[in-house]
Amino acid sequence: MLQHDVVIVGSGLAGMRAALEVCGELNTAIVTKVYPSRSHSGAAQGGVAASLANEAKDDNWELHMFDTVKGSDYLGDQDAIEIMAKDAPTTIREMEHFGCPFSRTPEGKIAQRDFGGHSRPRSCYAADRTGHALLHTLHEQVMRRKKDLTIYSEFYLLSLIIKDGVCGGITAMDIKTRKIEVIRVRSVIFATGGYGRAFSITSNAFASTGDGIMAAYRVGLPLQDMEFVQFHPTGLFGQGILVSEAARGEGGYLLNSKGERFMEKYASSRMELAPRDIVSRSEQTEIDEGRGVGPNGKAIHLDMRHLGREKILERLPQVRQLGIDFIGMDMVEEPILIQPTAHYSMGGIPTDNDGRVIIDDKKTRITGFFAAGECACVSVHGANRLGTNSLLDALVFGRRTGKTVLEETRNKDFPPVNEEEEIGKVKKEISDILDSPGTESMNDIRNSLKDNMMDRCGVFRDKTRLEECLKAVKGLQARFPKGKIMDKGTNFNTEIIEAIELRNMLDFSEIIVTGALAREESRGGHARKDFPKRDDVKWLKHTLAAKAADGGIELKYKPVAITKHRPEERKY
Amino acid sequence: MKFAFYPGCVAQGAARELKASTEALAKKLGIELVPMPNATCCGAGVITEQNPVLSNTLNARTFAIAEKMGLDILNICGTCQGVMKKAQKELKESPKKLEEANKSMAGSGLEYRGKVKVRHLLNVLIEDIGADKLKSMVRRPLKDLRIGAFYGCYALRPGELSGLKDPDNPDEIENLVRALGGEPVDYPGRLRCCGFPYVMMSKRNALTMAGNHISAAKENGANCMVTPCPLCHLNLDPYQPESAKIVGKELNVPIFHLPQMVGLALGISPKELQLSKHIIRFKESLTQSR
Amino acid sequence: MFFLFPGSCLGMQDHEAPPRSIKKMKTKFKIRRFDPQKDQAPRFQEYELEVPQGATLLDCVNLIKWTQDGTLSYRMSCRSAICGSCAMKVNGHARLACKTQAKDVIKNNLVVLEPLGNMTVIKDLAVDLEPFWEKVEKVMPWLVNDEEVSPGVERLQSPEDFHKIDAASTCIMCASCFSDCCSEEVDKEYLGPTALAKAQRFVCDSRDKKQFERISKLSKEKGIWDCTHCGECSQRCPTDAKPLERIVELRNVALNSGVLNNNGARHAKAFVDSIAKSGRLNENELPVKSMGFFNIKGLLEILPVGIRMLIRGKNPPLIHHSIEDMDQVKKIFREFGEPK
Repeated sequence: MLQHDVVIVGSGLAGMRAALEVCGELNTAIVTKVYPSRSHSGAAQGGVAASLANEAKDDNWELHMFDTVKGSDYLGDQDAIEIMAKDAPTTIREMEHFGCPFSRTPEGKIAQRDFGGHSRPRSCYAADRTGHALLHTLHEQVMRRKKDLTIYSEFYLLSLIIKDGVCGGITAMDIKTRKIEVIRVRSVIFATGGYGRAFSITSNAFASTGDGIMAAYRVGLPLQDMEFVQFHPTGLFGQGILVSEAARGEGGYLLNSKGERFMEKYASSRMELAPRDIVSRSEQTEIDEGRGVGPNGKAIHLDMRHLGREKILERLPQVRQLGIDFIGMDMVEEPILIQPTAHYSMGGIPTDNDGRVIIDDKKTRITGFFAAGECACVSVHGANRLGTNSLLDALVFGRRTGKTVLEETRNKDFPPVNEEEEIGKVKKEISDILDSPGTESMNDIRNSLKDNMMDRCGVFRDKTRLEECLKAVKGLQARFPKGKIMDKGTNFNTEIIEAIELRNMLDFSEIIVTGALAREESRGGHARKDFPKRDDVKWLKHTLAAKAADGGIELKYKPVAITKHRPEERKY
Repeated sequence: MKFAFYPGCVAQGAARELKASTEALAKKLGIELVPMPNATCCGAGVITEQNPVLSNTLNARTFAIAEKMGLDILNICGTCQGVMKKAQKELKESPKKLEEANKSMAGSGLEYRGKVKVRHLLNVLIEDIGADKLKSMVRRPLKDLRIGAFYGCYALRPGELSGLKDPDNPDEIENLVRALGGEPVDYPGRLRCCGFPYVMMSKRNALTMAGNHISAAKENGANCMVTPCPLCHLNLDPYQPESAKIVGKELNVPIFHLPQMVGLALGISPKELQLSKHIIRFKESLTQSR
Repeated sequence: MFFLFPGSCLGMQDHEAPPRSIKKMKTKFKIRRFDPQKDQAPRFQEYELEVPQGATLLDCVNLIKWTQDGTLSYRMSCRSAICGSCAMKVNGHARLACKTQAKDVIKNNLVVLEPLGNMTVIKDLAVDLEPFWEKVEKVMPWLVNDEEVSPGVERLQSPEDFHKIDAASTCIMCASCFSDCCSEEVDKEYLGPTALAKAQRFVCDSRDKKQFERISKLSKEKGIWDCTHCGECSQRCPTDAKPLERIVELRNVALNSGVLNNNGARHAKAFVDSIAKSGRLNENELPVKSMGFFNIKGLLEILPVGIRMLIRGKNPPLIHHSIEDMDQVKKIFREFGEPK
């Protein structure tokens, strides 16, 4: 049995930022299914929000807070949002002090630019690869602390160990050898990322399979607001890979099959630059009403040609390259095909403002268990996240959680852990998968799941489709135990990992759909055609979904923290 | 056909047989070579390490000399060709650099206008003369020769400047070999580095590279090799006895300069091609006229 | 994707590959397989796949794994060319599978896939990256600046200074350059292109306080002067990091900050001197000056090749002539303040 004072699962911004607070004084380890530099935080392009006021002198944390509250469609907890907006400048400057190569203003300060939903230019950026720059900067700091910090790269989380409300550790598998380890701890931080992989069109990495949230769910913890998934309006058609908002920022048109700039109908003042959820819904409406383009009319044209070859090459070389490399389309020559793509998971493991996992509206804690970043639901994004607030969330709450863990772990004992029992449990699960009759194709199950979720629980939802979706997901869950595994080996067996990931995806999909079915309103990323209006009377509350005694899903709710801003209609 | 002839330092120094064989071949092909007695060294990618602007300027001057002559430049050294192409690219992309270079030439009557083409003999043979024409001129088919082509880094990378159709998997030299009646030999290492650039810094590593490639060519059936770069030739030929020792294999593989191989097939005598200057000599039976 | 578009003309088995109309073509994928636990030696296994139009190479490999052979192992994650996981050798050269359109690498209906080079294979296309990371860690890959700075302000850096580290900062640690590095192939101690590009990012960072210490260390054996300029690294690099260009910049820093006590720097200096003096390279002088006049051992080592060349009449002319119009060249050197 391995033992560390603190284990952090996940090596993205939240995980590594937390690790830097904890390591040194406490024996700390990071467990990651990839390598730290390969975490999905690196894929964020546009920037990270902070009211540094380097570009707009009148920016301040209050404005940032209000924009975020409004963007969240008032489902965000305002006390948490206030903390994030206040912490942002220090947190970003600290990243600069760590060496992050930010783009600069002429006077040498961190450069900032406009971003959707923010009323001031407060997106700090490093060219068009901000997440990558931040991630590598943290990785550099982690390498600097090598003596204080053990990294288990390519270790896959299998389970969370919790007894009587106290967290004792995790089990994880070394992907290179299939060996299962129990890691005994005094505290665990989950920073395991989002759950976008259940949708056929997604900007998420293959790794974003909700492993952390499902490990928490399986031991009885509730998950919060899982029905809220953000769809970004410009995913490359078929691939879902993100085309940066910059394409629209530079003046790109969204066109339907009639060649109309249809945003005129939906947001005549902001046009293509309306907020993400609104643009995504507009695109989907065009597609649903038969005015889409591409194969079977499932896409929208993003037309940049009027900018001219030179401007495209000068301003958007990377975006153009993306189209060429990933779908073989050159935006200089033709409009490229895009569609809404599952992008960000607003829901996750409920925490308080310092990363402590809490399980109800009374803030009842799980001792020694913490979460931060996309896998956590603090909640600062509510029903819809603003662009550039995700990197910020990961950094601010990664840092805060690290500080909390350091404080609370110093004088804490190792809870008892029964190694044999814990290993036995996960070994059985794995051998069940390996020994399955193999009459079903895992690939078919995965594809069915993703298509179902995209079609029936995507940009638009309604009762009928959600019920069909739930039925389909349950059917797929029943087929999963018969899924075929060809690789029975122990050496770098990625097939078994993909199978466990699929199991996680099946199970959290059920939770997403169940929450979506219950929430009879439209708010942020959750748009019900049969309940098109936001309903603050009934639904200004967070969903908590937990495993019921019968194995089903039990939904509870808890109030939203409203401190400064009363909910009002969200207009742009 | 007429070129401003830029043999480069090595073909005027340690590899004079390259210059001599080029001149013999040019005569045969009716190419007029006009000397550039006032051209400097291209810098070989070394001057740029000390001072990139200086390096570009020296090359800009060479280009200006050719432009004044009204002729395109003919290179016979892969490295010179690569360095010059890169300089042209940088000067083209940055009007500021070009202006800077021209300013420092002021008063010499030279100005680089970005017009001159920089060609390597290999490209001229393929594009201007053509394999078919060469084939028709063959007097002594290279039928006993199984030839491993060694392209050299600067002829291949960066690919966009190479002038080759598929620089990741080129067949230009192999096609030439075929046209001349020889048999091209594929082997791992034909697109790799010969090691010469650091033979003075890391001799053992440099000669391991050369030794590995020669031995790979030999193991795949080559009885000789050909290279369009005299720097590669230096590492592959004069150092071959040491390379053999380092990789622990008997090598003894003679190395053609490109014009020597073509010239031989076109009936130029081994003597005129100065094959005897090589450290590893060809078996007489392989190169004698018939 | 065909599930999404039932009845469409798409022959797709999975939605990871993009749609659009499809030209049917069966392509042979020759993939090098190796499981050291089971196999004596690596072998090639062939798969046939109808490649959907617009599919990336990673889409194809995934289709093979998911519909034909689940035992195939390789790495992948972001599929948008930012995580660096899916680098592999394609037709002999390292590339990111996700950033490569399959049609661009299919030659005569064939694609050959192999694991990255210069590392040992764990299984199939997955290699052991530990030696790669060890080298990156050797160059002190983090900013060093112990000066007090208030949490309320950022350190200033001009856009021009940012530009100096911009290219190196785009590195995604995919190890493509490392895989195809010629120098690494013959010397496992060589720091290699990735680590050196990473080092440039700090040596040239206006905020870093260890420039001289860093460049001195990097100038030692197995460092910046052990690169042969072969250009493989930059050719294989899927980003703007282009290691060779970064190594040249590091050499420039070394030469201009007086870190000259090594063969590489002496060679560069002697080279420049030679051109400054005569416009052409003096091949007789260069080896002696590179080795250093008092490096008897080094000089003895190059003696045999010199003698060999002398015998064949291959020695450079003993009397070295200048080019014509040397005054023009001298003026240019003076203008740029060289040689220093």
